Amino acid sequence: MKLGMNMIREYAEIPVSPKEYEERMIMSGTGVEGTEDVSGGMEKVVVGKVLTCEDVEGTHLHQCTVDVGGEEPLHIVCGAPNVGVGKLVPVALDGARLPDGVKIKKGKLRGMISEGMLCSATELKVPQELYPSVGDEGLLIFNEEYPLGSDVKPILGIDDTAVDFEILANRPDCLCAVGIARETAAAMGTEYHGPDTSVREVGGDVHAEVKVRVEDDMFCPRYTARVIKNVRIGQSPLWMRKYLHAAGLRAINNIVDITNYIMLEYGHPMHAFDLGKVKGRQIVVRRAHAGEMLTTLDGVERKLRTEDLVICDESAATGLAGIMGGEESEITEGTQEVMFECAAFDRTAIRLTSRALGLRTESSGRFERGVCAATVMEALDRACHLVNELDAGDVVTGVIDHYPAPKAQQQITASVKRIQSRAGVEIPADAMVRILNKLFFEASLEGDVLSVKVPAFREDLDGEADICEECLRMYGYDHIGATPLRGSTTQGGVSPMKHLKNKVGRMLNGFGYLEIMNYSFTGLKEIAKLGLPEDDLRMKPMAIRNPLGEDTAVMRPTLVCDMLKTLSFNMNHMTEQASLYEMAAVFDPHHPTEEGLPTETQTLCLGAYGDQVDFFTVRGAAEAVLNGQGIACQAEAGGDCYYHPGRCARLTRGGVVFATIGEIHPAVMERFGMTRRAVVAEINLAQLLEYAKPMGEVKPLPRFPAMSRDLALVMDESVCVGPLMADMRKAAGNLLESIKMFDVYRGLQVGLGKKSVAFSLIFRANDRTLTDEEVQKAMDKVRKVCDDKHGAAIRA
Amino acid sequence: MSVVDTLRELKEQVDKELNDLNGSAGLEALRVKVLGKKGELTALLKGMGQLAPEERPKVGAQINEVREWLTERMNQRLNAIQAAEREAAIQSEIIDVTEPHDLPVTGSAHPITLVMDELIDCFSGLGFEVMEGPEVELDHYNFELMNLPKNHPARDAQDTFYMDDNIVLRTHTSPMQARAMLTRKPPIRIICPGRVYRADEVDATHSPVFHQMEGLVVDENVSMSDLRGTLEAFAKKLYGADVSTRFRPSFFPFTEPSAEVDLTCSACHGKGCRICKDTGWVEVLGCGMVNPKVLEMCGIDSHKYSGFAFGIGLERIAMKRYGLTDMRLLYEGDARLLGQLR
Repeated sequence: MKLGMNMIREYAEIPVSPKEYEERMIMSGTGVEGTEDVSGGMEKVVVGKVLTCEDVEGTHLHQCTVDVGGEEPLHIVCGAPNVGVGKLVPVALDGARLPDGVKIKKGKLRGMISEGMLCSATELKVPQELYPSVGDEGLLIFNEEYPLGSDVKPILGIDDTAVDFEILANRPDCLCAVGIARETAAAMGTEYHGPDTSVREVGGDVHAEVKVRVEDDMFCPRYTARVIKNVRIGQSPLWMRKYLHAAGLRAINNIVDITNYIMLEYGHPMHAFDLGKVKGRQIVVRRAHAGEMLTTLDGVERKLRTEDLVICDESAATGLAGIMGGEESEITEGTQEVMFECAAFDRTAIRLTSRALGLRTESSGRFERGVCAATVMEALDRACHLVNELDAGDVVTGVIDHYPAPKAQQQITASVKRIQSRAGVEIPADAMVRILNKLFFEASLEGDVLSVKVPAFREDLDGEADICEECLRMYGYDHIGATPLRGSTTQGGVSPMKHLKNKVGRMLNGFGYLEIMNYSFTGLKEIAKLGLPEDDLRMKPMAIRNPLGEDTAVMRPTLVCDMLKTLSFNMNHMTEQASLYEMAAVFDPHHPTEEGLPTETQTLCLGAYGDQVDFFTVRGAAEAVLNGQGIACQAEAGGDCYYHPGRCARLTRGGVVFATIGEIHPAVMERFGMTRRAVVAEINLAQLLEYAKPMGEVKPLPRFPAMSRDLALVMDESVCVGPLMADMRKAAGNLLESIKMFDVYRGLQVGLGKKSVAFSLIFRANDRTLTDEEVQKAMDKVRKVCDDKHGAAIRA
Repeated sequence: MSVVDTLRELKEQVDKELNDLNGSAGLEALRVKVLGKKGELTALLKGMGQLAPEERPKVGAQINEVREWLTERMNQRLNAIQAAEREAAIQSEIIDVTEPHDLPVTGSAHPITLVMDELIDCFSGLGFEVMEGPEVELDHYNFELMNLPKNHPARDAQDTFYMDDNIVLRTHTSPMQARAMLTRKPPIRIICPGRVYRADEVDATHSPVFHQMEGLVVDENVSMSDLRGTLEAFAKKLYGADVSTRFRPSFFPFTEPSAEVDLTCSACHGKGCRICKDTGWVEVLGCGMVNPKVLEMCGIDSHKYSGFAFGIGLERIAMKRYGLTDMRLLYEGDARLLGQLR
């Protein structure tokens, strides 16, 4: 919210520079985004009088002499058509600075000396409504006499600093000059002088002029109105126009300007009706009928709901309460009678209507943040005071005030000691009283008990903690010391899941994997690229009701889509090889928790491509992760359909799948724009944590020698080595220390469709040296199971 | 030829052959030839039987003397030859150690993880325990227990993603405050790092997904100065001992009093620069004393206990630390960027 400092000064003194003011306000709780010179940094532009003006032949230029109050008049060449002898104009002197930063220097124009520049309103960035002019058609001509050589800024109403306040959500009372002035006076230790709200009435009776009926007290807790007769529409005075300008508002005419000015001054949105056009001279505030249609001031026809509050005349709804008025009763040049409305509407109701209709206005924004019902009448009276002051009409005697349930004044009692202990600052009790009174509370002290009456405009307070904050922010947050945490010690540390992630991350980093992070949401189209069957639960992920877009509309049921997208991104950025991983939650709404939330499963996804990468390198990384938790798995062929059907596997133990690894299916690669083969692995970290075996004692080092046997078996190409080895292990019994596959041979010697696989088995007992017979017996069993179950026999 | 002569000849001959030798293999052959079971010297010893008994001791002694001399000589020679051979091998194995070569490929955690882990490290040292919770959260925890009842205008500022009327994507890590208080008894000291969501369009400084770390302490007699002490400890650990903090009054529905915390701008050390917009301060987090209403709603006696809470945005810290000017870089997964981290 922008306000000119001069307007704030009307109510509270600011004895410091804008910079220091900004600092003091920030530190007492009123945010300031920045300050800016309303004149845009204009310098050395003064009032001058054109003494002589001669046309320069063959051009549109004029050669002028201009009196700027100096000893000698200045010679200035000017091209404006409206320049003329005797006119008072703004003159940019040698060394002047214009609002857009342009510097004016003495120079020559077509050989003629020019010692400055005569300025248009556009060049000075002064809008028409602030100071009437012909805009960029010609020079700004002053319409009154001013001392020659005097600064033009005060004359044009731009001698001000605008402060851009950032008001906290709980302080709607500060969204106006009066509120800011109250805070200013408290922060600066200066006096606050409120606006004059006295009204001079001309007789008559407001109740005879207009009837007001409020049908919904909940949505409209207060409605006040006054009537102005003999309205004299005209321009409002410069002081009002310049305050509106500094705040970024346009001056229109005195009546409209008064309503806008009240909004700036009191934060109360007002509405001015042309009473002559209000049918039946009757105002009804009621809920809309279902499906009722209303054309708002912006020309849009809107269908209303019964939750929408409307302002009606005798025949129909004419405006949306607190949001936008109707066209019919708009103030025009011809307006004779005005009814001022100043009301309080329910913030939630306004918010919901504004949202439902997609219609946000300055007024609706203020009502949403909260407009105090108690101060409505003061604002209305102030408006009428301004009508008197501006001589914009005659105020009819009496007010309409529908206020069925005034709020009682709020009282809070607090303990000085508890406030001090909460703040961690020994704010003296009398300082608390002083601060609170300065903030318009009525505070009194009895022993430790602080009794506080809260001013009506402060609707954000409800307890001791709030009083603590009020005292502390004015006493100064910089008094807060820094004490180390005391009290009972607590066991700090990371959660088991975080611990697991740390360990897995470190391991993968060692293997060269880089961690990536993707958004937690994705799009159905993206998921569809995986080509999962229709009935796969991942095809029905949890949907966001108000997503940013189609591609971020659902919570991801798998990390694979994002991994493939990221791999593709890197491939398409000419990165030769990349090994990536992500650890994040996947969301499953089909198995809700007790609280009805989707199951969130922390998941690890690996993805890699490059010359050094094949199925086995990624499987190795996945196995290492599992082994790191004491889970030794077997590989089984198979996996989701987005994998290459002949190059994917599951790592299982005891029928539980711990990881899936596979090369990406060529069709899926194409859909993700992947230019190279890639391998991906998925591991459920939550499950891994559940099954993790804690590290126990280490095995003692062997004391007896090992016996080693090699075995080469010929088998059909289709025989899977993994299960074969599992059977070999089982058959060899507990004397087997390890088994390794060390060669696979395919060639004519073993026959077409066959392969020869060589294994090395190591046997050892931990209590004796094994005999040949013992080992031979085990080897016989191994051979038998290979032959019987897998058709794998010793190579002849 | 007398034995003496034979011995002398043998000595000379072996000496010569030793000198001519240039490999350890030849030396072994020579040793066998002279000193082996069937060697020349052994033959002489065996031939002693044919000598007169009185000559035997003398000749025996001479033979043994020669044997010792030869053994010694051969050992010397062996050492020399082995040394030469090793030297030759070494010379032949010289490599150019200055040649470039491929480094072992190492990976790295994500910038956000790196920052998160550093913060966890700092706070766990102060007795804070890491607690994790759902990202898809009940409105009840995310808003209502945080003193943001339905239709509260401050909810708008949070730009919430809704699943349905009661389920949202958590807009902050604060709901974990409620979850912690409802399941634990004071003293409570927890931190909750994690993903949070706001319906912000993606640009250089906004992301609909970002990370926060919530901190919560509930105990007897906890004050605003304890909060400041804790945050200063964190700030100094993260940014060095000369960093100072500034508390500015602020508003959060779930804390009272509330503060925004600024740290001395690390680029200009508080003098004022472009990064801190000439203020000398950089905003890092919001915090405050837990609102007594929140304590009560979460079943904690607000007369006996008080607490403080803070929420730190991790993206801002990570971006500053690694000089990233566009938040999108964090979520793009570009190996060329991530590969630079360590």
